[in-house]
Amino acid sequence: MPVPDFSPGEVLTAQAMDSIGLWLVKTQTIGATVPSVVVPDAFSADFENYRIIVSGGVASTNNGLNLTFGATITGYTRTGISMIHGSTTVTGVSQQSQTSISNIGLGTTNNLSLAFDCYSPFSANRTIVNGFGMRATAGQSVNWLSGYLDNDTSYTDFTLTVTSGTISGGEIRVYGYRN
Amino acid sequence: MTKPLIQVGDEIREMTDEEHARYLEIIKDEVPTTDSPIDAG
Repeated sequence: MPVPDFSPGEVLTAQAMDSIGLWLVKTQTIGATVPSVVVPDAFSADFENYRIIVSGGVASTNNGLNLTFGATITGYTRTGISMIHGSTTVTGVSQQSQTSISNIGLGTTNNLSLAFDCYSPFSANRTIVNGFGMRATAGQSVNWLSGYLDNDTSYTDFTLTVTSGTISGGEIRVYGYRN
Repeated sequence: MTKPLIQVGDEIREMTDEEHARYLEIIKDEVPTTDSPIDAG
């Protein structure tokens, strides 16, 4: 199918709309000085896979964003690597039976950063994520983490919980990949 | 004792007892460091 080339005022066909691969499901603005943010109604039967991006906003201190789904705080696995701006050293991590996928996002007083793909959170099978976060500050970290949730539960929402301090401002955008 | 805040959608409020218990589990053992946060947790 060719790339859609829309014109102002054009009546869009179902075929054209159905060719859009990434659909904005919702935008949620992060409030002031909150340590935990729940994003409800993010996942549904409309999409199998999702892209979530957190940008803008700041943290009160250097911290991490821990990802959980629904009310589940058991059975998370995370595997990945971390590097520091200004260093070529790579640090690996792999942990099972965790209470979250911790530090998948990162925050500083300069920025918040998290982007992850989420596979099959609403389907009744394993929820898998592949994410990235960085502190946009010299000498600070960049994390690339993948993980999964060891159950077959269907989820509609996710939560970001900071490892310390709070976060303020910025947007959480949830996109659905067209099936 | 005042519990931490939680944002649910657009609403910001104090955590319930259940939410607070979950919160403490999620952040336990987290020791934020400057140079290697991936090791925490």
